[in-house]
Amino acid sequence: MGPTVGVSLKLPYRKVPDGKGGFGYYAEVPVNIALPTKNAPRSKRFGAIIDSGASRCIFNAEIGKAIGLDVPKGEVETTLGITGPSNTYLHDISLYAPGGIIAIRAGFSADLPVAGILGMIGFFDSFKILFDPAMLRCELERIYKA
Amino acid sequence: MKPLDTLERLIAMAINDPRFEALQSAPLGQWIALAEDESKIVAVGPTYAEAVANSEKAGVSDPVLIKVPKAWAPLSV
Repeated sequence: MGPTVGVSLKLPYRKVPDGKGGFGYYAEVPVNIALPTKNAPRSKRFGAIIDSGASRCIFNAEIGKAIGLDVPKGEVETTLGITGPSNTYLHDISLYAPGGIIAIRAGFSADLPVAGILGMIGFFDSFKILFDPAMLRCELERIYKA
Repeated sequence: MKPLDTLERLIAMAINDPRFEALQSAPLGQWIALAEDESKIVAVGPTYAEAVANSEKAGVSDPVLIKVPKAWAPLSV
């Protein structure tokens, strides 16, 4: 059986200062994360940027610490960014996203300048995603793999 | 879709966006907690944990946390 499609929603782009007196846009969705154990307490909701240029989901290490991770004990993964290589620490977590929980292996970094980034592994593989520049919104359709 | 539709939407977003106004006033390099409707800042802290604690002290238990960068600039991670 193939994948089935579930919840869909339309998220208006979020306007952010551009540092030059104007503004730019992020496609951003509020999410929670938690340890992958039953009834583990969730983080507070935080704004995570939808970014197809990120290989996997990466979250700020402070959120990982808050949910109970010993972040530096995770598997080290070196990522390549525009400013060069950087280390992240991988952990298995539950991502609370539209349509329910996704079990993912995510990176955690103390150097991330934002709260979280939703990348190809862990997010884009669970959604059909349309970036709509005419309506200034992002459309998400959850895919459930058989 | 007419081009004007997009222009009108851009203008509306530029004029009336309390979340954007909140971000403009947010202290750089800090964590901020936005109200449930994301219309205003209810707490600030140098760490995620302190922003959450300050939000709870302010009576907001379901905030949306944002990490404000050290400087607003186009993002490339």
